[in-house]
Amino acid sequence: MNSRPAHVMHSRATATNRNPEHTSPQSSGRKLGLYVVLTFFVLSLPQWLTDNYVLGLINFMTIFGICCMGLNLILGYTGFLSLGHAAFYGIGAYTTAILMTRHGFGFMSALALSGMLTLVSALIVSIPIRKIRGDYFCLLTIAFGEIFRLIAQAWIPFTGGAMGIVGIPIPKIFGYAIQSEADFYYVAIGLLAFTYITLYLFVRTKFGRALIAIREDELAAQAMGVNTPLYTILAFSIGSIYAGFAGSLLAVYQTTITPSNFRIEESCLMIIMVIVGGMGRLLAPLAGVVVMTLATEFFRSFSEYRMLIIGAMMILVLLFRPQGIFGTSAFKN
Amino acid sequence: MFWNVLIVGIMVGAIYTLVTMGYSMVYGLLRLMNFAHGDVYILGTLLAWTLLSAHHVSPILAIPAAILAGGALAALVELVAYRRLRSTQHRMISMITALGAAYMIQNLSELKWGNQVLPFPSLFPYDTFSILGVGVSLTNIVTLCIAIAIILFFNVFLKHHKMGKAILCASEDLTISSLMGIPINKTVSIVYFLGGVLGVIGGILYSSSYNVISISMGFRGTIVAFTAAVIGGIGSFSGALIGGMILGISENFVGVYVSSMFRDPIIFLLLIVILLFKPTGILGKNEIQKV
Repeated sequence: MNSRPAHVMHSRATATNRNPEHTSPQSSGRKLGLYVVLTFFVLSLPQWLTDNYVLGLINFMTIFGICCMGLNLILGYTGFLSLGHAAFYGIGAYTTAILMTRHGFGFMSALALSGMLTLVSALIVSIPIRKIRGDYFCLLTIAFGEIFRLIAQAWIPFTGGAMGIVGIPIPKIFGYAIQSEADFYYVAIGLLAFTYITLYLFVRTKFGRALIAIREDELAAQAMGVNTPLYTILAFSIGSIYAGFAGSLLAVYQTTITPSNFRIEESCLMIIMVIVGGMGRLLAPLAGVVVMTLATEFFRSFSEYRMLIIGAMMILVLLFRPQGIFGTSAFKN
Repeated sequence: MFWNVLIVGIMVGAIYTLVTMGYSMVYGLLRLMNFAHGDVYILGTLLAWTLLSAHHVSPILAIPAAILAGGALAALVELVAYRRLRSTQHRMISMITALGAAYMIQNLSELKWGNQVLPFPSLFPYDTFSILGVGVSLTNIVTLCIAIAIILFFNVFLKHHKMGKAILCASEDLTISSLMGIPINKTVSIVYFLGGVLGVIGGILYSSSYNVISISMGFRGTIVAFTAAVIGGIGSFSGALIGGMILGISENFVGVYVSSMFRDPIIFLLLIVILLFKPTGILGKNEIQKV
């Protein structure tokens, strides 16, 4: 495909505010100014945007954004297709829901435990990565996702079956009850910032460079001394934790969760969000989240066409712009 | 009881073998996980349902029409969603477009037929007779015979017909085959067409012996086909037979003796076990990665 030059031009045109390697004093001053304006804009948003519908939409986007940024570490940086991401999202949500409704846990401890349980399950799922590669690994994640969904549907005393878990209590953070859309907005944005900062720290180090090396050429990376199994397991597990956090937030935000929130369709939606936004760039998936959420929201009155729209987007984006809106890399042969 | 379950298991296994053969052939050729396989054959089967139940077309016309439509749809999916990506892009991209195609087909059939379970008419009489003291239903035997006949016919086609040989040759190496003068695009289209045809035949046989058809069987069908192909050794036809039989028989025994709730989980469980312990399958050869 000859879309490469267009992408190079694109990234050059916007290099001043996005490319950290490009640091003349003038541009770093402008970058700082931009960051201050952006932070002020993000923090003041609920003060002047009082439409609860729009704010709710933004909250959903933020939750999905946290998920997709984690998925980007697996898909965009390491190059593994995981079709079980919604299951990790679900593990986070069910952990929080069960701990808060039945065992009286507070939100913060439930959130932390959700992340930890997601990490453990992701480690268990990804350990076979040493032996199982490519398509087979993708299949393993599908099997994991489906088994999670079947358990959520069938183990009624524990998960509530198809009816799910209802009446998840209002979360309290340091004694302050999170009730309105604006409160949730700040919690979600805080978690998104946490996601961004931690992922930034990961990908800027040896760890991030090793992942990109694995994506570009796994055998070459191995020959250069990268412990590829270890790094892929780490990338998969770390990428999945954020899905657990997002799921935890979803549980307290919706106050109700059902297995249908975590079907394989949702995994596909997350994948297409990452691809539309652009793989291999930390914040790029957020663009995909916004585009896809607005697209499905715009066609809300045709909700029976939802999967048709998502499926068509999956094909069209990959046929005509496989690197997405802001991505650094498309999959290469 | 035991023998009945076994016979039904073998019948289901033979149907799964048909579906898996179509899937395995496509995978062997392009190394592409065709997620749309199950949805294509369910759409073909639903078409047969419409012709048979709603329009009362005679089965002799309705079934070939549905089979051809399924094959044509499979070839169309390849043409639209996979062909442009075949040579230039990473395989993962075609996997994602395959998922996209699967969802589009699923959504289209849902718009037409809804997502409830529809009663599929039986094509064969329900008489039971006894062989060596075991009561056997005629439906099971006829379905089994048809499935086995098609499997055998298909093997002969691949080994002796010119097109079949071209398919086998292209599965060995796409580039070299094209250098040897095999028209690759045409071969790929035909393989997808045949994959769809085998899938719809399997779908109609399954639906007519269980008298049900629903959209949700599509994704399950894809997973069944892939699991059976992986268990037997992907790309190999005897592998498809072994995998299909193992899956059909174990699914039936678990469904009858343990709980019908475990019919689906057992498929995923078998998939995980085989992936963990022998990812190349029972008949598969280890592929050596060359630099």
